[in-house]
Amino acid sequence: MRSYVVAEFASEEAILSAARALRGQGLSELDLHTPVPLHGADEALGLKRSVVPRIALVAGVLGAATGYFIQWYMVAFDFPINVGGRPPHSAPAFIPVTFELGVLFSALAIFFGLFVLWGMPRLHHPTFEVEGFRSATVDGLWLSAATEAGKAEALVGQLRTLGARSVEVVPEEAP
Amino acid sequence: MSPPHAAPAAAADPLEPVPVLVGRPGDKDLTEQLLRPVLGPTRKGWLMLITALGAGMGFWLLSLGTTLVVGIGAWGNNIPVAWAFDITNFVWWIGIGHAGTLISAILLLFQQKWRTSINRFSEAMTLFAVAMAGMYPIIHLGRPWLFWWLMPYPSTNQIWPNFKSALPWDVFAISTYATVSFLFWFMGLIPDLATLRDTAPTRTKRIIYGIFAFGWRGSARHWQHYRIGYLLMAGLGTPLVVSVHTIVSFDFAISQLPGWHTTIFPPYFVAGAIFSGFAMVVTLMIPARKILGLEGVVTMRHLDNMAKVILATGLMVTYGYTMEHFMAWYSGSGNEAFAFLNRWTGPYAPIWYMQLFCNVLAPQVFWFPSMRRNLVVLFVVSIFVNIGMWAERFVIIAVSLHRDFIPGSWGMYTPTWVDWGLLFGSMATFGVLFLLFLRFLPVIPIAEVKELRRELEHEDGHAAGAHGGAHP
Repeated sequence: MRSYVVAEFASEEAILSAARALRGQGLSELDLHTPVPLHGADEALGLKRSVVPRIALVAGVLGAATGYFIQWYMVAFDFPINVGGRPPHSAPAFIPVTFELGVLFSALAIFFGLFVLWGMPRLHHPTFEVEGFRSATVDGLWLSAATEAGKAEALVGQLRTLGARSVEVVPEEAP
Repeated sequence: MSPPHAAPAAAADPLEPVPVLVGRPGDKDLTEQLLRPVLGPTRKGWLMLITALGAGMGFWLLSLGTTLVVGIGAWGNNIPVAWAFDITNFVWWIGIGHAGTLISAILLLFQQKWRTSINRFSEAMTLFAVAMAGMYPIIHLGRPWLFWWLMPYPSTNQIWPNFKSALPWDVFAISTYATVSFLFWFMGLIPDLATLRDTAPTRTKRIIYGIFAFGWRGSARHWQHYRIGYLLMAGLGTPLVVSVHTIVSFDFAISQLPGWHTTIFPPYFVAGAIFSGFAMVVTLMIPARKILGLEGVVTMRHLDNMAKVILATGLMVTYGYTMEHFMAWYSGSGNEAFAFLNRWTGPYAPIWYMQLFCNVLAPQVFWFPSMRRNLVVLFVVSIFVNIGMWAERFVIIAVSLHRDFIPGSWGMYTPTWVDWGLLFGSMATFGVLFLLFLRFLPVIPIAEVKELRRELEHEDGHAAGAHGGAHP
């Protein structure tokens, strides 16, 4: 069984250097929890570039293509309507809906893509067992990592030496 | 975290003497201050106001019900004025909605720091305004219960919407705009909902806010995706907001009617939308910041900047009016010329003069800094602009329609009580929704203001450093 080790730090410098120090140790789910995005956190945790832009691009192109295709299919192919002698396949008239669907698909993909990337909704997380962890969305700077239950003690000691203000261990399966 | 201390701060730039954030309150103080309206007790004033507006909402529901039961014959609309209050209200509300996206998306991309404190407020305004706007095209269909015929779906009728008409474009533009505005607004709310979950005093509130926070825990991995996602949403919102009112203006511009058939409509409508939207933000913000005690976060700097935007867009709208008249003359078309002469001398001329006063003259006071910083003047002018922009849409729509090409087909339009009920009732309903927002959700984006404070502190540091270097 794994345990989550949760530690609070007093300063941004301290938490970032702790993250850098722990990064190489093969801890799973090493993470920082802060009320605002922390400058340098991506680099300290060695995070890869976010895939969100690619999701947005692919969905946007797909949406625009869908928009154009449905219009062509509906008014030029399946049921051509002669309106004022305009050609059935009238590209300029298709621009607005093509654009709107591109934006719509892209925005929906960003929003729901983020939830997938975040692993949310996940209303409960082991870190929430720590009462003080509430401050992570107010003013606290927290670090969390998952580790084998046996190695938790060693990690606690290490976090203390790295300057953690308080450290707590939570078993993954809450009692 | 850093203790609150008074800022010598922004005074470093003599051109911008009013700070965007008063003092440098710490994260905890900010959280407490900004959540007070949500977590504090319900106020009597709020209850009274929402009751009064609730009554107005009842009037709105009554008017809606009458429209549904009787049909649109309950309105004053008739040929030749087939579009009147319904579409006027629609364009007016959707225009008001534009300020929210402009503030939250375009100003974000331009890195305007002053947008931070007012973006959630204006986005909420956008959502409710779009909700109000969306009602009108649906109820003016005549058989609104068949509104889904607007959507392209394979039906037994075996026909599709005609995508060569501007009206189906409108359906896509408005529904996309409503969806994207909601997603953008909700995305910005998630970290603050988590803050609410973690600071709420009662278990019920924690559970409710906790559900809507979806388990946000401020993780660096989450923030990384969040930041880029938020920026991309802003990037999408920027062309979207321009496209929406452009497409709304196409409803008119691609028709043949004098007064509608003009190529200046798209930019002129977008400018008008921003103009009325900022006016509405000012109208709502002046009382809200006072009552909720937000003067430290929404400072005179914000109001001053919004007044400047109102002045600038007011001038653009004035240019639009001028150009319409120029083209009416330059086109050499007698019908065009008459349509504009009819605005000045026809039976609806008082509305046109009111429009000129409210949209062209009134905002000119904002050339004077003292007027931009005078709350009473700001509030009164913002109300004028709201009225003026409604008048503008009425003049464009109903006044152009009532006298078109053939004098034999001219007519007059007189609103019925249902028309008035749908107009004023929608304002009350908007007010109810807005009051609920003020009571139950953080009006100011807490996480973003905390970030803003960090940025400002960083700048303070630089300013102090530069100063020290210059005078050793």
